[in-house]
Amino acid sequence: MKKTVLALSCAVFSMGFAGGALAKDKIIGVSWSNFQEERWKTDEAAMKAAIEAAGDSYISADAQSSASKQLTDVESLIAQGANALIILAQDSSAIGPAVEKAVNEGISVVGYDRLIENPDAFYLTFDNKEVGRMQARAVFEVQPEGNYAFIKGSSADPNADFLFSGQMEVLKDAIDSGKIKNVGEAYTDGWLPANAQKNMEQILTANNNEVDAVVASNDGTAGGVVAALSAQGLAGSVPVSGQDGDHAALNRVALGTQTVSVWKDARELGKAAAEIASALADGTAMADIPDAVKWSDGPQGVEMDAVFLKPLPITKDNLDQVIDAGWVSKDVACQGVEAGSVAACD
Amino acid sequence: MLRFAILLAVMGAVAPLRAAAGEPALTVPRFVEETATSGIDNVYAGDWEYMAGGGVAAFDCNDDGFSDLLFAGGEDRAKFYRNAGAPGSALRFEAQESGLELDRVTGTYPLDIDGDGITDIMLLRVGENVVMRGLGGCRFERANEAWGFDGGDAWSTAFAATWEHGARWPTLAVGNYIDRREDAFPWGSCTDNWLHRPENDRRRFAAPLALKPSHCALSMLFTDWNRSGTPDLRISNDREYYKGGQEQLWRFEAGRAPALYTEADGWKRLRIWGMGIASSDLDRDGYPEYFLTSMADNKLQALSGAEGARTARPAYEDIAYASGVTAHRPYLGDQVKPSTAWHAQFDDVNNDGRADLFIAKGNVAEMPDFAAKDPNNLLLQSAAGSFQEAGDKAGVASVAIARGALLADLNLDGLLDLVVANRWSKAQIWRNASTDAGRWLQVKLRQDGANREAVGAWLEVKGEPGMTRREITVGGGHASGQSGWWHAGLGDARQADVRVIWPDGTAGEWQRLESNRFYVIERGRPARGWSPG
Repeated sequence: MKKTVLALSCAVFSMGFAGGALAKDKIIGVSWSNFQEERWKTDEAAMKAAIEAAGDSYISADAQSSASKQLTDVESLIAQGANALIILAQDSSAIGPAVEKAVNEGISVVGYDRLIENPDAFYLTFDNKEVGRMQARAVFEVQPEGNYAFIKGSSADPNADFLFSGQMEVLKDAIDSGKIKNVGEAYTDGWLPANAQKNMEQILTANNNEVDAVVASNDGTAGGVVAALSAQGLAGSVPVSGQDGDHAALNRVALGTQTVSVWKDARELGKAAAEIASALADGTAMADIPDAVKWSDGPQGVEMDAVFLKPLPITKDNLDQVIDAGWVSKDVACQGVEAGSVAACD
Repeated sequence: MLRFAILLAVMGAVAPLRAAAGEPALTVPRFVEETATSGIDNVYAGDWEYMAGGGVAAFDCNDDGFSDLLFAGGEDRAKFYRNAGAPGSALRFEAQESGLELDRVTGTYPLDIDGDGITDIMLLRVGENVVMRGLGGCRFERANEAWGFDGGDAWSTAFAATWEHGARWPTLAVGNYIDRREDAFPWGSCTDNWLHRPENDRRRFAAPLALKPSHCALSMLFTDWNRSGTPDLRISNDREYYKGGQEQLWRFEAGRAPALYTEADGWKRLRIWGMGIASSDLDRDGYPEYFLTSMADNKLQALSGAEGARTARPAYEDIAYASGVTAHRPYLGDQVKPSTAWHAQFDDVNNDGRADLFIAKGNVAEMPDFAAKDPNNLLLQSAAGSFQEAGDKAGVASVAIARGALLADLNLDGLLDLVVANRWSKAQIWRNASTDAGRWLQVKLRQDGANREAVGAWLEVKGEPGMTRREITVGGGHASGQSGWWHAGLGDARQADVRVIWPDGTAGEWQRLESNRFYVIERGRPARGWSPG
């Protein structure tokens, strides 16, 4: 097309200039992939609080799930004077031009939660391998031998393999020594609970229900696994792992049908992003960011500077931590729990 | 990247869907859903082997000028419906045995393969594909053996056809999806697309040629993107399942093996969940733009580069956002998750002389990260060339899980009606009942020889506000195709100058035709008016 079409951005930009004598006048621009998704509100609040506490100001844009809108959002944030950018990429394979533009103008970029595989971007996320390790550890503690099933995530999602490799790291010795037998593993198309349930049913059938533990990679797939176990009267007697701190999963933890849900506290991630962006804007080299490591396990093998936060495994014994944090109400987490069975519910 | 990245950042939301200052307001068409009374009762059924597909075809198999319809049924049998309507009337169809009622059909495209003047049908299937020879009177018979067509045993999801230079028989491209035996681990199991070329100079197919590499095609289109006179093959691929794949453009030269355009040729790597291709010369520069459906953002690709360089290099830039056609999430309801788009088609639904865009939407199944209630889009093109959503106002914003679709004038009143095939629920049909649409004409092309319907021709119509050029193609969309009348909106023009550039490059004479009429243009002859009945 030859004709130039004038683009009117329908971005909703929120501007929050912090006043006060402490202001260092830095502007941290945050590009959200889809801010209307409930989960990012917590991240934003933590991010904003940390930015403003440092005397800097927070500006943001919401790509509303559009990778192409996000490119123009980033340009707008740059035009508004952002000194550093935090980008939650809608499509990590399409965000490249925006990162290039920022870097060309000397603006640092923090890839937030989702990998932007570009050596000029900093990567901040929770340690997914550690999530996998924590899942396996919690299950292994309860069931140190026997037949293990592995319900993995979607093969199209690189995180699925990070999780699985963390799980295997923990269980390797027991598998090699024959104490633990891998009796079935399956990827879950689209991370769908229904697919996880189907896979679990097949594994149960193939093993005459002789499955002693299930390492499921998130709470959605754990839900499918528990449904399959319930149908065979096995729920509660077979340990199951998960991840995300889904409310339904935390309730399963309290009820005893799920062993662990590894929780990633979004407030920690938001705060860390703000601090890293601010330090980078001050001229700190990426490699000098506290706790930064060199990392190159992305799909393209690009070496990057990264910080990986440690998640928190939630079991019956520390369920009070998510309740005290306000992540889930006691009513929801403890629904149907027999009095005296879980300390956090009493 | 975007050449026009001038952004006006505004506080709050911009008031949507209004013509720019000084432009006439857009005419929103009025569609009336007539599913219940239409006689059509079809569901695209089945489990994961039918997550893609769900096609519908429109073609005239009893020579009455009215388009009949064929729906893929998935694990159920395909259904054929004879058009039993009258000019301008409510839409009415009658189910009828046609011989096309095979099960495991995913998609269907009409074309005259053997050049006998009777429409034949391509049936894409999970399992063996079947070419069905038209016998007349809406009867069809299997012709795989008679035409030497190897139907294979794959999961077929895309189709395109062309007549290569001098060929007496068409070349068919079939797009194949995941290895259907790999349901436990489908990722990276994309199977080979097949190219069925004529066997030497004979009127039958040679053994198929694998188009390697293949990346889980969900739409393909033979299109002459640079007006070289030889269409190339564009393929849109599903990034969910390929490893290392991308969108593809195969260079075709008669008698030579197809070769992929590469980055050295100017082709830019693009990875999307490609599901459908629609093309139209939106900016009237003679070269088509291509709309590619996907998950979240959809793409609108325009040739970039200087005038002279453009035809040499297939370097496309994405202008979807600037044009207002990203259509990346539902415009209705409280759903904030991204959309999933399938069939797309450019055509002029309000006869204002500008191509509009219909997009069929629907979740793959129950993908949690994508909108569950995902209304179809009807994007109207404004005089400035950008598009505005009117699906809800026009009455077509169904949230059924849509797949294939067609805009076609089913009651021959000059207004394009709409049929949409849905997964797990009934197909829907809408009559375009607009009262304030512009003028129009519709044309059927005929030439002697093998390629009777002049696939690969360009139909040029000088109406208002300018010249429209339509490339006559077989393929694209999502699993859905049509033959028969080609429609052009004319705005207020009472007459239009029309000519055809025939597939061999020969330009026909300009002819002045009256608006609001049907014409058959036979090569080398004056256009002949046609009336229903």
